[in-house]
Amino acid sequence: MSHQERPIILRLEDVSLSYHSGKKTYDHGLHRILDSVSLQLFEGETLGVIGRNGVGKTTILRIMAGILAPTSGKVYIQRGKSSALLTLGLGFRPDLSGRDNALLSAMLQGASKNEAKSYLEEIKVFSDLGDSFEEPVKTYSSGMRARLGFTTALMTHVDILLIDEVLSVGDAQFKQKARQALKKRIRGEQTVVFVSHSESQVRKLCDRAIWLEGGKVAAEGDTGKVLDDYNNALLGDSPK
Amino acid sequence: MSFMQFHRLVDVQARMALRADASRYMFGYIWWILEPLLFVAVFYVVFGIILNTGRADFLVFLMCGKLPFIWFSKTVNQASGSIVHNKGLIGKVNVTKMLFPLGIIQESLYKQSAVFALLFAVLAFNDYAVTTTHFWLIPLLLVNYLMIVVCSLIAACAVCIVRDFAMAIPLGMTFLLFSSGIFWDVRDLGDPHKTDLVLALNPIAFLLDAYRQILMNQTPPDATHMGLMALVLVVMLIGMVWFMGKASQYLALRALTA
Repeated sequence: MSHQERPIILRLEDVSLSYHSGKKTYDHGLHRILDSVSLQLFEGETLGVIGRNGVGKTTILRIMAGILAPTSGKVYIQRGKSSALLTLGLGFRPDLSGRDNALLSAMLQGASKNEAKSYLEEIKVFSDLGDSFEEPVKTYSSGMRARLGFTTALMTHVDILLIDEVLSVGDAQFKQKARQALKKRIRGEQTVVFVSHSESQVRKLCDRAIWLEGGKVAAEGDTGKVLDDYNNALLGDSPK
Repeated sequence: MSFMQFHRLVDVQARMALRADASRYMFGYIWWILEPLLFVAVFYVVFGIILNTGRADFLVFLMCGKLPFIWFSKTVNQASGSIVHNKGLIGKVNVTKMLFPLGIIQESLYKQSAVFALLFAVLAFNDYAVTTTHFWLIPLLLVNYLMIVVCSLIAACAVCIVRDFAMAIPLGMTFLLFSSGIFWDVRDLGDPHKTDLVLALNPIAFLLDAYRQILMNQTPPDATHMGLMALVLVVMLIGMVWFMGKASQYLALRALTA
């Protein structure tokens, strides 16, 4: 079955997002992040989102996850479908142990306390944190945080997994393991939206891709074709 | 997320924070009681000894006012920054923003139960009688708690939407500290109209006075006044729950971008 024949799980229609910052910097402090973006996400597919820094890739994931609402436009999501955003960086409580953070994260994504507890040993083993799992997260290196974040989101079960640049951190061994686990999920009918700078990862993992430029969709469709267009544009922009 | 699940999450979050907090300090959980006691000690030295109020029962009088006030002021102060401080989490999960102030409120509820236990022990030690009037403590504590919840939610949203409120809220707490009859007796102003005016205009002054009336004088508080306060607070709470549900994504945007 081609992806277009599958049911649509999520659709963005003419979605724009802009906000006023406190300081009147430029354009009277108005920041335009997304500008009339429309896209469809089919059940079970892996959609890659590429584009340069600051074009709105993270914002589009946040809108899909329901964290942010668009300033204009509509977001349709199939009734009863859950989504989780898997991202690096903050989100942990630095004073709490890895175990407590994993428990809280799972509960925040809708798991009951007992369900969340049942994931913990698996998270501890997969993340390779060993005894550090019981230590406060503030003592972790960025690689350790990434491992904990990735594993926690991977172990909790959601319908749409939104992944923001997570495969780019951690040591080579963990990266390999994470990629394999992700591939397994993708093969297992998981719907995934995948944001990455790494062209090779997008090429390997994604069925379709969209390229964002200046808050708009510049190209959409077959991963190879979109990546080629993107690369050509980047080469065209660079100084001769 | 069901209400029970949400409540569980708030509670788990609070207990974890308390444990992490206690492990950071040498005195650990002792600080729950030590900190408010030190505040009382500072006020006792200044007003009881240096300025000498002349009240024989000044220590108990001070504790009955200062300890509930700390509960209010510390919780609202901490809760005011709670949404903004959790912007890392807010950028990752679509969760009701009430989770953050309510977590702080739950934390301080645990701490305050130890503080109240100490207060009751001090009263018993000083031979204050326990009578049926003490049943009035139940509605009083509920109204006090409701007041903390409503003010915390308002403060957390205000700081999230306009950061400048973070400067104004501690100042407001200082104003309340001086104007709510913590180290002076609102019934001792000399002019009964003035007393009525302070009690009518300042809900914190009313609550602190009610604690003293019940605990020290075995006198029930003004039930109508307290009932009216409860009604207004419940309406405000419903309004805040509605607003925070409606504006969840707006609050996320403000927390992430402002």
